[in-house]
This record gives sequence, structure tokens and C-alpha cells, in this order.
Amino acid sequence: MKDNEKKFTLPLLEAPRTVRVKFRKVGNLQYISHLDLQRTFSRVLVRAGLPLWYTKGFNPHIKMVFGLPLPVGCESETEFLDIRIERDMPLSEIKERLNAELTEELAVREVYFAERKFTDIAFAAYEYTLTLPEADAALAATVEKTLSEGPLTFVKRSKSGEKEVDVRDFIRDFKVEAGTGEIRLAVTLSAGEQNTLTPEAIVTVLKQKLGLFAGDPLKERYRILRRRVLMADGVTEFE
Amino acid sequence: MNEKITSVLKSVEKPGRYSGGEYGAVIKDKNAVKARFAFAFPDTYEIGMSNLGMRLLYGALNNESDIWCERVFCPWVDMQEKMRELNIPLWAHESGDPVSEFDILGITLGYEMCYTTALAMLKMAGIPLRADARGEDVPIVIGGGACAYNPEPVADFFDCFSIGEGEDNLVEFTKLYIRMKEEGRYTRAGFLHEAAATIKGIYVPSLYAVDYNEDGTIKSVTRKYDDIPEKVEKCIIADMDKAYFPDKLVMPYIEAVHDRIMLEVYRGCIRGCRFCQAGMIYRPVREKTPDLLNKQARCLYDATGYEEISLMSLSISDYSKLEPLTRSLLDWTDRNMVSLSLPSLRVDSFSKELMERIASVRTSSLTFAPEAGTQRLRDVINKNVREEDLMHAVNVAFSGGKTNVKLYFMNGLPTETEEDIAGIAELAHSVVHEYYQNPNRQKGRSPQVTVSVSCFIPKPFTPFQWEAQDTMERLAEKQDFLREQITDRKVRYQHHNAKVSRIEAVLARGNRKLCAALELAANEGFCLDAWDEFFDYDKWLSVFERTGVDPAFFANRQFGLDEILPWDVIDCGVTKEFLKRERAKAYEAATTPNCREKCAGCGANRLGGERTPCPACRGNNEG
Repeated sequence: MKDNEKKFTLPLLEAPRTVRVKFRKVGNLQYISHLDLQRTFSRVLVRAGLPLWYTKGFNPHIKMVFGLPLPVGCESETEFLDIRIERDMPLSEIKERLNAELTEELAVREVYFAERKFTDIAFAAYEYTLTLPEADAALAATVEKTLSEGPLTFVKRSKSGEKEVDVRDFIRDFKVEAGTGEIRLAVTLSAGEQNTLTPEAIVTVLKQKLGLFAGDPLKERYRILRRRVLMADGVTEFE
Repeated sequence: MNEKITSVLKSVEKPGRYSGGEYGAVIKDKNAVKARFAFAFPDTYEIGMSNLGMRLLYGALNNESDIWCERVFCPWVDMQEKMRELNIPLWAHESGDPVSEFDILGITLGYEMCYTTALAMLKMAGIPLRADARGEDVPIVIGGGACAYNPEPVADFFDCFSIGEGEDNLVEFTKLYIRMKEEGRYTRAGFLHEAAATIKGIYVPSLYAVDYNEDGTIKSVTRKYDDIPEKVEKCIIADMDKAYFPDKLVMPYIEAVHDRIMLEVYRGCIRGCRFCQAGMIYRPVREKTPDLLNKQARCLYDATGYEEISLMSLSISDYSKLEPLTRSLLDWTDRNMVSLSLPSLRVDSFSKELMERIASVRTSSLTFAPEAGTQRLRDVINKNVREEDLMHAVNVAFSGGKTNVKLYFMNGLPTETEEDIAGIAELAHSVVHEYYQNPNRQKGRSPQVTVSVSCFIPKPFTPFQWEAQDTMERLAEKQDFLREQITDRKVRYQHHNAKVSRIEAVLARGNRKLCAALELAANEGFCLDAWDEFFDYDKWLSVFERTGVDPAFFANRQFGLDEILPWDVIDCGVTKEFLKRERAKAYEAATTPNCREKCAGCGANRLGGERTPCPACRGNNEG
């Protein structure tokens, strides 16, 4: 049994300190919304017995800030959560305690003191696997051509309403490959607060343009994985 | 998980209902266990995951290394449509395997309006609706929960029922199944017979023949074998300190309706309100000790990280050790930013101290249940609270900064008159008046008093089990009359749908003749009737009409005191004589003291019990 009272015995820090938690969210967890993930983490952090800092107001609560929110239906190897602690607990212990309370599909990869701000995030690299029995080099070439030539109109929904955009304006680079019974895509998309596009948009426009999955929603089989999150140069990994 | 299931998750609402993979979910090797138990909750995931009974039984069954218990929920209608399109049978949450492959399917029946959902789930699973149509390889279907105390309206669809508290009972039942399989002597019929004969609380409806009189009442109930009980006595956990208690929980990712630690403080109720089924069927009162409760709460907090602990019981302020319990909890909960809450409050024991300790009362609204508008009617129902108690309670609340009060009442109670209904409005107006008289109220804010009125439903095993429900027309008149009586705009008025209450009454007091109606309802696609958007009164009437069921016979008829009642085959502990005595006292507006004050001789103490106020109970420590 873990010791949930130990946190009270650790030395107090001079000021609360932000700790970045890098985690993966894959498999069944792709269906859990951002809001549900927040609630889940608020409980995970507590039951892990971390020396969390609570806000001092009328209704004290812990601080959690997530990096780029992940849409439902998308998996990720690279998610970020900033938490605040008020007592000194070794980072390795924080990681260990968190993973004891998580499953393989939602697991902590690293815990560290962050230097970069979430606003530094500019791109995210996604991997797509489209399961298509007809997949071959020719289809891969068609996909490549479609993504290069455009226009690829997509209706982007945001708080301010709906807007038609060209998906290509958000693509920094991409690569297409044919495998056995599948088409694999690697796409780097704009991300961050200013200029972001849901990764699902790539699949949507390809379905429209090429009539993939025989136009039958029940035959759709594809996987989207956020592999890396990148800085403004499009190469350096955000940490 | 089945690839067909995952393929539709991207196109249904709230896919987190189906995706599983929760922390705390129990995964076992299906080839290494000896029995697979599918525990079905006939409503959505969010509702089912809030159910304390399911948490307990899931834990108790999985505590056995031979048994793997998985959860099953009713998919929402959008998912049901996809399942039909793709031929996906109902699956179990943990493994994704079809429910039809399991050894035992348990369905918990907490509310009459879930019957159609339970049947719809059998259909989705591809399991024949009627027990007599099931072959040897079909899972044994066992029902349980509060509605199993009158199992007759669904008797044809269940192989058997577990009556009473299931923590030990379902394990024993499943172990008998395993043993008979291992000994090579298992047959469906043989197993059911042996379970009925050897395990307390197991009712096998097919082993009891029911004959009817010409007027439709029951003539006789005859058991088919001498070695099965004439009346099936419910099982209880005698010592609640020894009851199975899960040391971890399945943590839902999506928000459940009740997403918190539910700490069950005691079972039963000392009060004996005459309309209340729970107050009768869960007797005798059995308390847990505060030290153990504190340890269990701490253990669950460490295992879950929930920020709220709800103290659960039928009437929490009646717990004899409430003070030491909250004191020991507050010892560590405050420091850990965990709040305590109470689901229900009695006005006569609501104090400033209690309010200050309990967080739910830190929110702006408080709920009390006077149930009736006049002292006379409150005495009829044995509610045993006085208007002064209510005024005291709301004043405590107002002085503590509260502005909103919610009051629960019931329409259609036996002997109710216009004066009683007008009394509801008067009581609400007095509460508003009390607010303005209170010098410590939150200045500059106006109060809001919500009056929420449900319809009386006669329930089995209550002193009012024989009473007729008001007709729908009468209930509607009463609801309108009350609306006219409420003149203060600070009083908000809500009432339950009388149509739902009527169907509920039919199902609650039904006999086996209702099985035909429910079978037709299932075949016509009834499902999720507990949800307003799917409940259709006219469709229910049509189903009754086509199966020769007169709903008034069950809902609006005064049952004879000497009539054989459909649920007489069940023994819930409380005797019929006691219920009759209580009924007679109701008509004299005479109250009965609570169990702690004086034993009313309900009969439940012959079932045993530890830490109970019952004088004749084994292990009674209160004299």
C-alpha cells in the first residue's frame, strides 16, 4: 500500500513549483474527451499522493494546465500536463507514483521541470494508418497528389463560428507510404493557440476527394497518432 | 475488444461509455476461471457506474479467484442502431465478449421502469426472452435488487432471483454452479432446483405454479417440490462490519451521475414511514462501527482520489455514531481537501453542528422531505416530523447563509384531502416567511423554495401495499389544485409525471399476467423507459390492452386484506401482520415510535443482525 500521508512530511518549497508531466494517451483512451481527462487526472494526482499545491481561494483546488488538447478519436505519444507542487518530492518518485495509478493506455513517460512554455508549440507531427484492402503504390501516389494539389476545402469549427479553410495551408510537410492493406501517412500540421487544425481534417478531405472506405462510414478503419510536438522551426521537439 | 465495436466508436455519442479500459477494471484470464458472470445494469453506463450495489457485487464476485465478473450496460439508442446494422451482439465491458457466452447473467432491477430495458438487453444479447425457451448453453439469468421483492411481473424472463443482499448469496450461487459443472452433474433444471433447495434467498419462479380466481386475483401458489421453501426468505449480511467491502473501485473516465466515494454507514431504517419500501425491505437495521468506516473511507480515498465522500444510508442522521464518525473522518479529510456530503437529511435532527461539518450544505441549496402538508397526514404516513422541526431546520440553513430550500412532498397518499394539499402550499409559504423573519439571513438576497411533488405509488411490503393509487385524472386535478394554491413567486413548483407513476404502480404490484404485456413491449422495441424521451404512455396502454391486462386492476384497485398477494411467495422479514397493524394505525392517524424508541414487532429481527436496535436480535448490544 502506498503512503498517501508521506507528502505532509516532505520539506516545503520556498514557492510552489511547476512540474511537467509528459504522457501517452492511446488505445481506448482516445475516446476520452479533454474534459474527462482533466477530471481523471485530478483524481490520479490526488491518489498518487503528490504534494500538490492548492489555490488559496474560497474553493481551494489544484492547478493543472494541459498542453495542446487532443481531440477525441486521436491517440498520442506526446501529451503534456503541468502541475504545481508545494513540497519537495523527487521527480523519479512522482513518475513512479503516477504510473502506479495509471494504465498502459494512459501512462507517464517523463516528469521534469519545464523550461518551455506551451505557447512555444507551433506544430504537431501525426501518423495516420488507413486500413484499406485496396491499398497499393498507385493509391499512395493518388493520396500524395491529392494532398499536394488541392484545393482541400474543410469547414473548420471554432468558438467564433464556422469557416472554410484549405487544409494545405496547415500542412508543413507530409509523406505517404503504401503498406499491406493500409496507407500510412506522416503529416506535420500547424498547432498551438493561433493556427491549429484538427488532425481528423486530413482523413475527412481524403474521404471526400477519393471516396475512401467505399463511402461507407461503417467500413471506416483508421488510426491517428500524435507522435511529436514541435517548436516553431518545425524540427526541434517541444519539451 | 471486438473490431466491429471499435469501428463504430468514432461515430457514436459519448464513446467513453463503451471504450472501457478504466483504472480498476478487473481483467482475468477467461480460460483460467471456472465461471464467467456478466453483471448487467439495465440503464446507461453513467447511471450504472453510480450504483453502489453494482460496485459491491462486482467486487465481491471478483474477489473469488474462480469467478470473473464483468459489467454490462445498456447502450444508448445510437449505439443500438449501429449494433443492429453490424450484427453486434450485446457485449461485456471488460473483455468485449458477447454476453451470450457467459455462464451467468445477473440483472439488477432497481426500479420498475427498467424492466423493458432489461428485456431489451436480453434481446440485444441474443438470449431468448422467456426462461422456458432457453437451452442448456444459454447463460443462467438471475435477477436481483429492490424490485426482486416482487419478481412476479418479470417471472417468466428470469431463471431465478436472488432475494435480499447479494454479496455472499451470488458467490454461493456461482460456486454451486461451478461445483455441479465440475462434478459433471450440471443440467439447467437440476442446477436451478438445487439452488432453490439449498441456497437461502434463491427464488426459481418456474418451480412455483400460480392459480387464479375468476376475478383475476390469485387463488393459490403451489411449489412443485417439497424440498424448496414455500416462502423464499431474503438473505442479509448479519454483521455489516464483516460485509465484503471493495478496497478499490473502477474509476470511470467519463462522468458518472454519482462520481464520489459512497460510504455505506448502515443498512435498514429505524423510521418506518408507511409508504416507503426501502424502510421495510432492508430491515433489520445493522450498523457498521465508526472505526471500520473511517478505515474503509481512507482506503477508498487512497485508491480513488475522489474529492468527496458521501455518507450513505436511508436516513443518515439516525446513525447512532454519527458524531464519532464525522469527527474521525474530518481528522484527515480536511487536510486532504476532501469534503463530506449527505444524501438526505431529516429535519428533526438537522443541526448547525452537522451543517458545518458537511460540505453538501456548503452549497447554496438544502433538501428536506416533509412528504405531506399537514400534521394529520404526516402522522398517517408515520413521518414523525413536525412543522416546528422543519422551521427550525430551515432557520439553521438560512442563518448559515443558505437561500435555496427544496422540499419533497407526495400527492395521492391514502386519506389525502384538499386541506392536506393546500397545506403543502402553506408550508412552502411559511418557509419563505421564515426567511424574512430570520435576522441572520443573507441580506439583500431573496429565498427560493422549490416544492417537488411526486405521486404516491403503493409498493409491496409496505403498510400501504393494499391501497389504491389515485387515478391519473385525480392526480392531475390535485396537481392543478396545488398549483393554484401556490401564490408566492418565490416558491417554485415541480411535480412528477403521473403517467409514469401509474405504469410504475402497475409494474410494482403486478403478477405473472404482466409477463405477456412486457414480452409484447420488448418485441415492440420498448427500451430505456426510465428516460422521459422514450417513455410513451399510450404505447403502454396499447400493450396492456392487447395482452388483456387491465392497468386499473393493479394500480387503482384496493387490494383485499385477505387476498393472496403476488409477492406473498417472498419473505422480506417484516410480517404481514405488522404491515396490517401499521395500516390500521395509519387510518387512525396514529404514529409508531422508531425502532430505537420502542420495538414495533415488525418481525425482521428473526433474520438476525449485529449492532442493531432490535431487542431480539442476536448480538444486539444496545439492550
